[in-house]
Parts: sequence; structure tokens; C-alpha cells
Amino acid sequence: MVYEVFARKSRGEPLRHIGNLNAPDDALARVYAYSKYDEEKWFDMWIVPRDRFIEVFNRADVEPARAATAAGG
Amino acid sequence: MATVEPTVALDAETGAAIRDLILVLADSKRLLGMRYAEWILGAPELEAGIACASMAQDEWGHARLLYSLLRDFGEDVVMLEHGREPSAYFSMEALDRPAAEWTDLVALNAFADTALSLQLEALRGTSYAPVRQRVEKMLEEERFHAAHGEAWFRRVADSGDVARAALRASAERVLPGLLRWFGPDSPRAAGLVRQRVVDAAGSELRQRFIAAVQPLLERVGSDFSPAEPPDFGGFNESSRRVSTEGPDPETIARVRGDLNRAFRLD
Repeated sequence: MVYEVFARKSRGEPLRHIGNLNAPDDALARVYAYSKYDEEKWFDMWIVPRDRFIEVFNRADVEPARAATAAGG
Repeated sequence: MATVEPTVALDAETGAAIRDLILVLADSKRLLGMRYAEWILGAPELEAGIACASMAQDEWGHARLLYSLLRDFGEDVVMLEHGREPSAYFSMEALDRPAAEWTDLVALNAFADTALSLQLEALRGTSYAPVRQRVEKMLEEERFHAAHGEAWFRRVADSGDVARAALRASAERVLPGLLRWFGPDSPRAAGLVRQRVVDAAGSELRQRFIAAVQPLLERVGSDFSPAEPPDFGGFNESSRRVSTEGPDPETIARVRGDLNRAFRLD
């Protein structure tokens, strides 16, 4: 299962996406997130299974050309 | 908050016991770091290899810190780190050989690392200030080692009969030595408790250890029942070892940095 990893440097700062990892369950995912991404001094760190993400919208679905331009593509 | 206290004059006996305890922890952490490092490339998944690298790094950091505390006992720290023969090591016997299988590594992670952390926890409010100021940070990092050991133990235990039997065998191989490692209820151990260097020793620490590992043993269907007290025949209370051979010489050559001697500048 893929987990996405989020963290921030200080309280009040928005969470930042810092990477992802593969793990079979939540318990190992927490440990792997720590060992993979704790090189910096984070204030807090969070993980979410990728399949729990819910898409709200995606410009690429309705305006493929504009999305490509905005992305610089 | 760490407080700076004037160095209290320790009686010779207590001083020697503290010095031995610090060396036991430092050497064991150094060797445990090697055993983790040996699995950076062979772990069952990339993330587990990264976790081994991270745990090795933590253990080596703790070892360095602990070695440096021995300067206060008149020790030559460079000699301790780079000059000793295997027979002079005070590391856990469970760490004398590399973990041959992943289940052996999981058993070391779940049991040997836990035994070391329980010993560190006994030092949490220690009357010996130089150690007290450093214990919390080490224990903070150790939380994730324990979580890794436990999560892997459960994963292997739940993944089929063959894997569970292999893990049970690895666990039962390493346990008797670890139980003995906490040592006898000797005058020396009692002295450390009385001087409030540690909050418990010997059989009391052993009981804490058994309570910590019992749920994992049940998970692999082990009916291992420890003898209390363990057989302390030939047990050296300073090194906490029976074997006088020490860890395998190849590993010691690597931790000493024998191949890098020409580049060592400190």
C-alpha cells in the first residue's frame, strides 16, 4: 500500500507534502515514515494511505489544454 | 531540564559499577548498530532497509555518546573505540554473530533492542547526572526501534506457519541469553539501586522485560517459560557475559575502522 507523507516545520505552518512510501500496514508505515523522512527537524508528521484521498476536482478532466499550459507543458 | 551538578565523589565500587554499565550499553549499541547495518541491503523491502540504516545510525550515535562519558572514569576513549580486541568487548552475547535470517534480525530488534531500552529506562532519573542528561533523547529515538521490531514481529507471526515457526525459533534462541544479561541480584546490583543510579536491577528488570515481550511470544505460540533465576554459572558481572570470546573478529575489525586507520585524524 502506498502512503503519502506530510510534515511541517512549526505549529501553524501549512502541512507540506514531503514524499511517499510503501508499507503493508499503518504500524509499519509510521515507522518507515520516521526512518525515511526524519532527517530534518519537523514539528509534526502525518501519513495517509493514498487510496483514502478523495478527488474534489481536477482541471485536466475539463480543460486539458489550460491545465497543460498552467503546468508549463 | 538538565541541571549541572558538581561531580559527586563516587565510592570506588559504585564508580566501577557505573563505568561497567556504561561500557556494556555502549558496546552493545555499537554491535546492534552493526547487526542492523548488515541488513540495509538484504531486507525484505526497501523501506525496511532504510529503517535498518536509520536504526544503525541511532545506535552508533548512542554508542559514541556513551563512550564519551567514560572519559570521566579516566578511560582513553579513542582506545576504547578503536583499540580493543573482541575479547575486551562488553556487548550482549546475542549480538556476537550477524543475524543470519530476517527472523533473527526481527528477534534482535524486538528483544535485544528492547532489553537495552529497559536498561536505559532504569537510568531515567539516575543520580549520576552525566547519564541523566542524555537518557531522554536516546529513549525518544528508541520508541521507533521498538515500533519497528513489534510491527515486523506481528507481521511475520501472522504471515503463515513456516514463517511463524522460524520466528519462534529465532526468538527462543535469543531469549535465554537476554534474560541472563540483566544479571543476578548481587550486592553490586543492590548497591546501584541503593545509590539510585538505577531504579531497578537484576530480577526486577528481568520481570519488566518478560512483561514487555510476553505478548509477542504468545503471538508465535511460544510456551517459553524462563527459569528464575537463570543459570549464572561463569557469568561475569562486569561484562554481563559468560563467553570470553567476544563478537566475531570481522565485525570488530569493521567497527574499529581497521581499514581506515591511515585516514583517522582524531
